[in-house]
Amino acid sequence: MPDLSKQAIFSQNFSENILRRSLYFVSFAVAFTFLIAACRPTHRDRSSGYLIAAIESYPLQLDPRYATDANGVRIGNLIYNSLLRADPQSRLRPELAESLRLINDRTYGIDLRRDVKFQNGQPLTAADVKFTYESILDPKNRSPKRGNLKPLGAIEQTGAYQLRFHLFAPHSPFIEQLTLGIVPAASPANPAVPTQAPPGSGPFMLEAAEPGEQITLKRNPHYWEQAPALAGVTFRIIPDALVRVLEFKKGNIDLMQNDIEPDMVPWLERNTGADVGTYLGTTFQYIGINLTHPILKNVKVRRALAYAIDRDRLVRHILKGMGTVAGGVLSPLNWAYEENLQHWPYDPERAKQLLDEAGFPDPDGDGPLPRFTLSFKTTNIDLRRRVAEAIKEQLQKVGIELDVRSYEWAAFYSDIKKGNFHLYSLAWVGVLDPDILFQIFHSSNFPPAGDNRGHYSNPELDRLLEQGRAITNQKERRQIYARAQKILAEDLPYVPLWWWKNVIVKKPTVQNFIPYPDGEMISLKQTRWANTQ
Amino acid sequence: METRFWLYAGAALLLLFTSVALFAPLVSPYDPLQQNLEQDLITHSAQHLLGTDKLGRDMLSRIIFGARISLLVGASTVALSLLIGVGVGSLSGYAGGIADLLCMRLIDILMAFPGILLAIAFSAVLGPGLDHVIVALALIGWTGYARLVRGEILSLRERDFVSAARALGCRPQRIIVLHLLPNLLPPIAIQATFGLAAAIVAEGSLSFLGLGVAPPTPSWGSMLNEGRQFLLVAPHLTTYPGIALMLTVFALNLLGDALQDRLGIQTAKRR
Amino acid sequence: MKRYLLYRLALLLPTLFGVLTLVFLFIHLTPGDPVDIMLGETASPADRQELRQILGLNQPLPEQYRSFLINFLRGDLGQSLYEGRSVAAMVRARYPATLELALCAMSTALVISFPLAIWSAVRCGRWSDRATLIFSLLGLSIPNFWLGPLVMIIFSIQLGWLPVSGRGGPDHLILPALTLGLGMTALLIRILRANLLRVLGEDYVQTARAKGLSERSVWLKHTLRNALLSLVTIVSLQFGSLLAGSLITETIFSWPGIGRLTMQAIEMRDYPLVQGCVLAIALSYVFLNFITDLIYRWVDPRITYGN
Repeated sequence: MPDLSKQAIFSQNFSENILRRSLYFVSFAVAFTFLIAACRPTHRDRSSGYLIAAIESYPLQLDPRYATDANGVRIGNLIYNSLLRADPQSRLRPELAESLRLINDRTYGIDLRRDVKFQNGQPLTAADVKFTYESILDPKNRSPKRGNLKPLGAIEQTGAYQLRFHLFAPHSPFIEQLTLGIVPAASPANPAVPTQAPPGSGPFMLEAAEPGEQITLKRNPHYWEQAPALAGVTFRIIPDALVRVLEFKKGNIDLMQNDIEPDMVPWLERNTGADVGTYLGTTFQYIGINLTHPILKNVKVRRALAYAIDRDRLVRHILKGMGTVAGGVLSPLNWAYEENLQHWPYDPERAKQLLDEAGFPDPDGDGPLPRFTLSFKTTNIDLRRRVAEAIKEQLQKVGIELDVRSYEWAAFYSDIKKGNFHLYSLAWVGVLDPDILFQIFHSSNFPPAGDNRGHYSNPELDRLLEQGRAITNQKERRQIYARAQKILAEDLPYVPLWWWKNVIVKKPTVQNFIPYPDGEMISLKQTRWANTQ
Repeated sequence: METRFWLYAGAALLLLFTSVALFAPLVSPYDPLQQNLEQDLITHSAQHLLGTDKLGRDMLSRIIFGARISLLVGASTVALSLLIGVGVGSLSGYAGGIADLLCMRLIDILMAFPGILLAIAFSAVLGPGLDHVIVALALIGWTGYARLVRGEILSLRERDFVSAARALGCRPQRIIVLHLLPNLLPPIAIQATFGLAAAIVAEGSLSFLGLGVAPPTPSWGSMLNEGRQFLLVAPHLTTYPGIALMLTVFALNLLGDALQDRLGIQTAKRR
Repeated sequence: MKRYLLYRLALLLPTLFGVLTLVFLFIHLTPGDPVDIMLGETASPADRQELRQILGLNQPLPEQYRSFLINFLRGDLGQSLYEGRSVAAMVRARYPATLELALCAMSTALVISFPLAIWSAVRCGRWSDRATLIFSLLGLSIPNFWLGPLVMIIFSIQLGWLPVSGRGGPDHLILPALTLGLGMTALLIRILRANLLRVLGEDYVQTARAKGLSERSVWLKHTLRNALLSLVTIVSLQFGSLLAGSLITETIFSWPGIGRLTMQAIEMRDYPLVQGCVLAIALSYVFLNFITDLIYRWVDPRITYGN
């Protein structure tokens, strides 16, 4: 190869041409690109006084008649009011309803507040409440909440601000349905996008929405309670947990709740001066079991599973303490919580014993051959996979081979609903009324009708759960559900894992954000910046 | 002179990678699946030279076994792609006519999609798992070989030695295999080298997106995926697998380049 | 030329048709039911059935296919199952972001690769040339899903020079463009260097002969055309692969483009949206190849395009 010096190139005419033309092309391309980039409006200047919160997915619906995704519900609860509202201790308190009374065992009478206005200036009356519930009941509107209102027979408006709910039969859990947001009468059904959601009466109103990017709420100055201290809230959608942390560090986010890698929490404390708080929660993580499986239908096998999983260790190391080992679906924050339940501490020897008794001996003692193999399905989230792998190792020690399979949410959920699993792990969010046990464990709720995906059938439990929903006396209900929890703890159709703790990371200047056990963000109406009164 | 150096360098690196992959159980200090929750996220220690991951598994062992997975997926993908590609290309080139037209259309259609997109779509359909990844990657990788083979066969088809063989009554398969394909070995070898590199990166991408091998199999891509959340607290989780991946692909590219220079052939390199 | 154009257009149609069919088939074969997700836990089977009917998921596959094709011709790509908006509108809205990123990646690649290629060609054989080659080969070998988080940590967090994610001013473009364009940079360096060496080599021979200007201008036209040809081919082929790379890079940097939209749509099993996105990308590819072919042909009519 001839060794050409720089001089040689530039002395040659056409290589110089090529060079020149190439440089023109390059500079043109670069200039063009930066022109495009610069021409776009730079938005996202922080509106003064607005709080920026990060969430991991865009709310699909804000209209309370249609919102089923967590973020849609939580943001919706800032825009709409409901008759009753759960407080931070999970107790139902009146919001729009000034008073609520039981007229007979199947009728509720409600008196509304008279000082509530929608954001469009219209007063909120009983007609609006009646409309909201009726539009959900109307099959033409295809509301996903219609199933929840099955016990409701009719809504009767008995005055401008009075109405009655008539149920078909006594049904105590129905009261939980009174936490539905209220929309103005004659609101169109099924809004295609969140921005088309009807106006609400809540502390904030929808200001702007960039699909997939962010949703901005602004203060409702005419709110019937005290108007919020915050001028507004911007919810930025950042699906990636790492990016959320990085944005927080840069100061672009003021608040985030949950969905943080447990190991990042100490880092956030050390490196960002953030206020980090962990609080007891009600979200219940469990292992679901297919009770039609020949091996899993044996209760000794299920108990062996419970003995073989060291939940303490999992919570301590993988969750870094951001969970509490659970005894059952209902957490200690629930009014019906029963603490004298059968416990299943970590005891691998006992587990092996039970498996032997159940008729599944270990074919080679301590050797690699398992007693049997089961599939374990989980979602794609890192943390869930990690937990699954740790459980796999623990079960290996007692001779059970787990085939861990992780799926994207859509495929996972579809499999679970169809009953296509041996074991899976999932969480129940927003557990309020113990009647959820009916939904999960009653034998009438096999899929596709209900959520008894494991096909658990226990006549005694069935009877208790039916009673529980028909009786209205809370003390009696408590006793019934105590009995129910005892049965579930012994029979183990679910192996309880833990109740997640809520982790809230915020700038120290954000004050008065009160955590709710199910991750609600309602306290944003009281949140304020430091140095402001 | 210079090319030979690179040829040897690439081959040496590749040899290292292959032997590590093949002798993984002997070379690796620990079982890559063995967890130790109390020893998680160690950066470096005497017992764990490259540290541990979130579940306390030894990183060095996982990287060694990751080489095994990469090699397995890469080699199987290339083998399967070759099989399909040579088969379709031969058919297309030798038979001509409708078969040729259909095959070329099919190839055009498949090549109308960016490879990774198809791979993601295939993986989403087939679900997680090693064998699914291999099938998915092979289904997008065969087109290059098919075109190569077809081109060569088309140009050689009318040559004297082929006509002679036909006149002697040789069956087409025999003609193809014995007379036509041997000419193709050099360009195929080069294509296969780059194909192997591409397959390894593609498997990494799929595992990174959560679509590839199922946990707890230690694929470099899935290690990068798992380690990503810990980038700020434990960067070693992504650094070492990333370097391993990069070096392996680098070695393959070196080798492919050197082969190309030596054999003096320009083939389509990038998909 | 005109004949060639018509010939290529004729070939284009079955390819387009095949692309459409493949896209349609794919998505419907994936497991996971969007209706389940949309209606949530408590919906009854009757509700589910109704929704399926409304979304057209109820009809037999051939029927769905037929409507799909007809709608495509009308420019209607359906509604997103989750957001309810027109898929065509969503794709149109996000496409410019990807285009911007890809163009920027390409210019970054050109800006970096040109001087390096020239420098390397000049110093052919010396250690600086070898170093450039090694670095470019390394650049080809670095997977973008590793590079992305790496540069993010170094430049965004440790040094704090650049923003972490999202789309904004020019400073938001730098890291994603770098990540996306590195592979192309490396390839360009190598190819440009090879071409320049060839050009310079011929030049050397030419000057040795020292012929008249006319011959020189012939060489000029020939070599310029060659250089232009290889540049055009590389850039257009690589632009396609930039589109592919955007799937991962956009996800890492939360860049609101088609790539990220596609990944999200796949995760949600939002059939119409996945179809729309994949179609947009595939059709861009096809279009680019088509243009490349034409330019090829125009620049050098002697090239017969058959393989």
